[in-house]
Amino acid sequence: MSFLINNREPVYLQVVRYFKEQIATGELTAGQEIPSRRELASLLKINPNTAQKAYKEMEEHGLIYTERNFPSRITTDKKVLNGVREELIQEAVNAFIQAIKPIQVPVDELVDIVKKNYQTEKK
Amino acid sequence: MLEVKNVTKKFGRKRVLDGVSFTANKGEITCLIGINGVGKTTIMKAILGLTPINGGEILIDGEKLTKSTYEKLTFIPDALAMLPNLTIMQAMDFMADFYDSWNQDRADELLQFFKLNEEDRISTLSKGNTAKVNLLLGLAQDADYVLMDEPFSGIDIFSREQIANVFTSHLIEDRGVIITTHEINDIEHLIDKVVVLNNGSVYKEFNAEDMRINEGKSVVDVLREVYIP
Repeated sequence: MSFLINNREPVYLQVVRYFKEQIATGELTAGQEIPSRRELASLLKINPNTAQKAYKEMEEHGLIYTERNFPSRITTDKKVLNGVREELIQEAVNAFIQAIKPIQVPVDELVDIVKKNYQTEKK
Repeated sequence: MLEVKNVTKKFGRKRVLDGVSFTANKGEITCLIGINGVGKTTIMKAILGLTPINGGEILIDGEKLTKSTYEKLTFIPDALAMLPNLTIMQAMDFMADFYDSWNQDRADELLQFFKLNEEDRISTLSKGNTAKVNLLLGLAQDADYVLMDEPFSGIDIFSREQIANVFTSHLIEDRGVIITTHEINDIEHLIDKVVVLNNGSVYKEFNAEDMRINEGKSVVDVLREVYIP
């Protein structure tokens, strides 16, 4: 399980991102059952109240849903699910742009470097 | 809720606790933290009525310590206090005889959780396993509040991990846990509330996740402010 905790960032947001990444890569699929808050806490080694907070956040954003007395599930709303991937991509690209901006690299050169390095990285 | 209100404790002329106040809730893990000698263990003992206090009061669910409120507490000392020639099973039998609150089902579950063999003699156990037996004997009691004094001190990293796993398991359920430690790294993400002690009083009381949300600081960051000015 790859869940790296940054000590200064709210843990519940890191949990939400972890779920979003799994949704974006298809490891979690529409309607799939997810662990209880206690199971999640022990899986990720985090405080159970924090796990609860993460679930509440995801519920409010429609990423997961819970029917009374049943385990929570990933939403089946295609629009929400597709939006997650889009959101993660935009976030990462924007962060990259912010980081590279001061170096003032022409965009074509940048695209070439990205292509080349991305291929090597994948291998 | 467990409330420590303006508690003062003197040893001779020295004020070890000087107006200490904090609260610990059920369903939360509260960590009393501070470098050695700031009075963490003294607070534990005061809550349990093992040492008289010179001022202030301690309330458990709104009531002072009596026989019935005492049964809401279980204390896990920093070292196992049990005859070394007993087996784990005999130690559990001893506790069952001694405490009405003993819950054998939970004890059996804890044995499995810690992968302990009840036939083993306490004198033959490693430090890590001795610490686990110590925890087992305390946690197997049905008590609303669990007080643990330095559960991580002096044991190997894997035993520490196993012990930390208890905090996220249903073995804690909705109990209130109060733990003292000076090794926060292992449990930074497991605790709810932090009470930082310094010079016999509470320097800061805060929720660890709120601290990350509102100030972008880790628990260790806050401690650094206190101890490395």
